[in-house]
Formats: sequence, structure tokens, C-alpha cells
Amino acid sequence: MMNRSLRFHWSLSQAGDKFRRSQATKEMSGLPSFEAQVDLCRRAEECGIDSMLMAIGFSRPDPLLLSTAIGMETSRIKFMVACRAGLISPAAFVQQINTLSTLIQGRVHINMVCGHTPHELRYYGDFLTHDERYDRTDEFLTVCRAFWNGREPVNFEGKYYRVEDGRLNTPFISDEREAPEIYLGGNSEKAAELAVTHASCLWRFADAPMRVRPAIAPVLEKGTEVGLLVALIARPTREESLRAAGSLIENFGAETKQVHREFARKSDSVAFTSTYKLAESAESAWLTPYLWTGAVPYLGAPAIALVGSFEDIATALMEYKEIGISQFLFLGWPDIEEMTFFGSGVLPLIRKQELSLYSAVSRQPSALSRQPSALSRQPSERKADS
Amino acid sequence: MLQGGDRSGSGLSAERVAREAALPDLEAQIDFCRRAEECHIDSLLVDINYGKPDPMVLSMALGRATEKIKFMVAYRPGLMSPALFVQQVNTCSVLTGGRIALNIVSGHSPREQRYYGDFLSHDERYERADEFLSVCHAFWERNGAVNFDGKYYRVEDGRLNTPFVSDERTHPEIYLGGSSEQSRNVALKHADCWMRFADAPEKIKEQIRPALDSGTEVGLRLSVITRPTRKEAVRAARSLIESAPVESRRADEKRFVTGSDAVSMKKTFELAEDEWLTQCLWTGAVRSFGASAMALVGTPEEVASDILEFEEAGVSQFILAGWPKLDEMIIFSREVMPLLNV
Repeated sequence: MMNRSLRFHWSLSQAGDKFRRSQATKEMSGLPSFEAQVDLCRRAEECGIDSMLMAIGFSRPDPLLLSTAIGMETSRIKFMVACRAGLISPAAFVQQINTLSTLIQGRVHINMVCGHTPHELRYYGDFLTHDERYDRTDEFLTVCRAFWNGREPVNFEGKYYRVEDGRLNTPFISDEREAPEIYLGGNSEKAAELAVTHASCLWRFADAPMRVRPAIAPVLEKGTEVGLLVALIARPTREESLRAAGSLIENFGAETKQVHREFARKSDSVAFTSTYKLAESAESAWLTPYLWTGAVPYLGAPAIALVGSFEDIATALMEYKEIGISQFLFLGWPDIEEMTFFGSGVLPLIRKQELSLYSAVSRQPSALSRQPSALSRQPSERKADS
Repeated sequence: MLQGGDRSGSGLSAERVAREAALPDLEAQIDFCRRAEECHIDSLLVDINYGKPDPMVLSMALGRATEKIKFMVAYRPGLMSPALFVQQVNTCSVLTGGRIALNIVSGHSPREQRYYGDFLSHDERYERADEFLSVCHAFWERNGAVNFDGKYYRVEDGRLNTPFVSDERTHPEIYLGGSSEQSRNVALKHADCWMRFADAPEKIKEQIRPALDSGTEVGLRLSVITRPTRKEAVRAARSLIESAPVESRRADEKRFVTGSDAVSMKKTFELAEDEWLTQCLWTGAVRSFGASAMALVGTPEEVASDILEFEEAGVSQFILAGWPKLDEMIIFSREVMPLLNV
């Protein structure tokens, strides 16, 4: 892990919605500006971003079809398409993802989510509990991977899914892989177990490195990567970043706070509620010199943010790299400006520090041997025949 | 009809045909869509099965590359939840200016449906299609939260923010196919147009009266082989079946019909006992290429006059196919459509 470059992803905003998550989802229009989203994705291509997270929810367009449309307008950026098991049969999902891969040269990852709000899941006819949803996701991914492994015909008989002699002719097409990379989000133990079984990377909300390290150790040991979901407020100087952070929350009043109190009350997600509680209960809004929870009460758990100068942010990211974090999923306010600050200010510092780290590592082979051996294997090799 | 190749005279092995069908040639398909726009075709059917790319995703991509043509996306209930389906259709409408219609099929091959975890019987599938479309329509009505408690689907306070967007309609036009009584009932209740395979116009007239009486349009799935003279048309038709590796095709079709529980498919195969049902309506290719290969064969005048007869019987839409489909589409647009005053 230490000898691999950090990978960075960005969350596609409801573009045109400058202060994402400040409204109750019910009030979002569901008609985002396509042009603004394409602009953001093109900027991401210039800023060294690997993929855009295409979120799923009743308030948004369908992420798989939106990825198809934006994919037609872009050439390098990948799409991390969110999927909830329980909405679609695994074979139909694989067929849709494979079709997308053939149309946009394999620029597809999957972000498997188990759902965080039972209330919303029922819109889709989904009445399972938190733990049952993880069991179903386990079955869902088992069937999907059987199709991707080319072990047709696929036969499966589980509690939630049953497939008989399944086959699909349209393959997953990519120069790099035989199946899409699978990301899985969650802070619960169930999520970690599931990620170890099926995913190449587990997403967690950010916390202080000292608390993240023990939490992710079991996952890293099994050879699954861990990534952090965190907002960014990076500016040329620390002072400017603090001013940006301050003016961000000045825009919001008690009403936005209420939106998120309500959300946290209805959610059964460990990740969303624990981060929210952390922000509500901590004595200071600063969990580390760079990690700020000040916007969480207004903008929800994903608003936990790294705030600082370009150097500060690079230092913070490299600290996470040191404890084993290998990927980041960012968001910002507004995204396109924050992404530009990241691409021009922070990313060059990261790549420079990584370069000096690699040369240090190659002089001292012992530095590598501290890492569990499974980490040096590529996820594609590891999962291919499990 | 967009997907699926020109099966005649290709001489390709079945495996190769399958492989090519599975990978969309986007450039060629965009080209075909643009030609269809020039030919004043209303929409292209994008069908669904395990051997082809997903029609919704493919239509989304093609819709972004075209301007006028609509996509009639085939879908089976039982593959996804109605709310997700509506969300996908609406997303497609937003990004293509409403150029999406639906061909809801209940499925004809129990074996293939099991690939997708679908183990229902023929009648249950229509029951489910009924529920599926009830929930979809409830979302499209945008009349508050959707609640539904059925045998196959349950929705509580459902809402979706992305609406169906089109200058013409508040929900996509729905085509529903089948010849069984159940299919007709579901079509009458939920669809804008009931799609059928062809038969002689006088038979069609009598079969479709209940649909027309209840305000549902009726459409036919047909193939066309139009040539300057009748002799050339018949020769083209004959060479079509001669060029196909007939024995293997027959074996395929036999397997297909045996494996199918669709009433419409079986009925059409029975009709194929008579080679000519009218002067132009030819069943010769049905045994080789399936029920949708029932074809109007003749001069532009003959084909047009048969179409007008169907129109008189109450048929208002046609889903046409041909071999090769591009050439046949161009001939139809240039030679036949002017005679129909469309």
C-alpha cells in the first residue's frame, strides 16, 4: 500500500446546488443541471480525479443512466455508480453495468450501499432491517461476481436470490480489469465483513487517524483497501481556509440544522449517525488540527472536513496514508472550485511527497515488510478466484 | 427495430452472431438511428434478452447522440422494482427530451427468466405486470406519495423527485405485447397501444375490437420485403429462407417454441401452416426467423394497400423489420410511406 499512489475520487454534486445537502432531500428538484455536471467531470479529468461518485436516492436521477449520458461527453473520468441490492435483480444489474462498460470503455466502478434510511427504502418496496440488508447485499454480490468471473451458467440459491443456469452475453469490457472495482460503504462491523468478502475498498467517514487506525486494521489485514469520505476546504493559506469554513456555516440557520437532526433520527446507518453524534458531542469542532466537524450539524455526516492550507491538507492526507488509507472520496462547496484548489494546490504536493517516500522505501526495504503481505497484492488478483 | 442483426445470408456461425449481438457497435447504431430519423420513423424498438446489451442503458447512449428518434425500450417486470424503473425511465426522458417509450413484455421463455431469478408462471407474470404498471402509473401521476400493497409489490409513501419530462406527455407511451387474454386485459388497463403479431386483416379486425372500444390503440409487429415488382419481392423472400441454414434454424425455432409459454408465439407458428394469408402477407419466414418475421411481400403499391387495409381494420401503429433492415427501411420510407399519406 505504501508504494502505491493515493487515489482520489469526487462526489458528483447536484450541480447547480451550491450548498449541497443544505436542503431537505424532499425539496431537491431532481432535475440537476446536466451541463454543470459535465463541466465538473471534465474539470475532474484535469485535476487527477480517478472517478466521480454517482449517488443513488429518490431525490436524484438514476446514477447508472446519468453515468451513461455523462460518459458519452467525457473521455477519461470513471463513474463510481452507487447501487443498492434490493432494487434490481443481480443479473439485470450486471447486464446494465456491462452494457455501460462497453459504451464508455470500462470507466465504471461500483459503490455498493446498503441503504441508510428505512423510510426511503420503502419507496422502493424494500422492508428489510439493517442486518438483513447486509445479508442480502452479500448474496447480491456473490451472484454478480459469479457472472463477472465468467463461470456461466450461474446457479445460486440463497435466502434473497435464486438463479438457475444464468447467462449473459454482454461482457464487462475494460483494458484494466475483468470486473468492475467494487467499493462498499459503512462504519458498522457488518459493513467491514462484507467489504472483506466482496469489495476492493471499504469507505468510511473520516475521523482522527488515531481512531481510524485500530478500526481499519482488521480490514487491511485481509487485503481490502480502506478509503475515507471527507469534505475539503483547501486554500493557499490556513487563514483563507478558516475564513472559507466560517463563511460556509454562516449561510445556514436553525432550519438546516433541523433537517439533519431529523435525518439522523430516521437513519439506521452506523456511519451517518456516529459521525453526526461525534460532531454534536465533541468539545471542540476540531478533531485534529485539520479535521473539522463544524459543518456537520448543518450539512450532515459527509460534511466532516479537512480544512487548511495546501501544505496542511497534504500533510493530513499523508498521515492517513501512513496508517493505511489508500483512497479518498472528496466533496466541497462549491465542488468545482474546491476541486480546482485540490488539483492545482494539493495534488502536486502529494505526488512529490509520495515520490520521496518511494525512494526512501527502496533504500530501506524493511519499511515495506512492516506492512501485512496481503497488501502488496492487487485487489484484482486477490478477488479473482476467491 | 434496433438490436439484433440482419440474419439472412450472413453465413456467420451462431456463436459469432451471438458475440456480435452482445457488443454494441455504437457508431453503427448511431448511424442507423440517424437514418431512421431521415426516414421519418417514429421510434426504434430496443429489445431485451440475456444475449444483448441492456436496452435502457443503450437507449440512453443513443438518445444522447440523436435528436428526433424515440426509443421504445423493451422491459420485463420482475427485473427491478417499479420505483427504480420509473426513476430510470424518467432520467432517460430528462436527458433525451422525452424520447423514450416502453414496450412492456411479460417474457416468453421461463428458462431465460430464471437467469434473472424470475420463477413465475405465465399467468402470474401477467398478474405481476398488472401490479408493476399500476405502481409505475401512480408515480407518473405525481399526485402525492405512492402507496401500494399487492401480491408482488409493496410501496410505502413512495416519492421520486426526477419527473418524466416531455413536451407531449406526462408519462411514456406504453406498448404491451401478447395475444393471450391476460395480455389483452393488462394492455387495456395500462397500455396506450396493444401490440400483436399479424394475421389476415378481417381476423385482426374482429380480435381487436374490445381494445379499440376501450380506447387502446392496436399495433402490429411485421416485417416488410418491398421490391419494384412482385416477382422481385417474392424472389427476395424466397432467397431469404434459402440463405438461412434452414435445418438448424428450424431446430432452433422448435427449441424456442417448445421452451416458450407465450400464447402469441405459438399462435403465429400455427398460422405459418398457410404460406400466404393475403396477397402480400407471407408466413414463409416465420419458421426460420420467428413470429415477428411474418412479412408483407410485394410492390410498394401492394404493401401500401395491405397496410391501409390493416388501418381500416383499426390498426394504427406498426413495428417493422426487414432484411437487411437499413435497406428495407429506406425503401419503405421512399416508396411506401408516400402512398400512405404520412
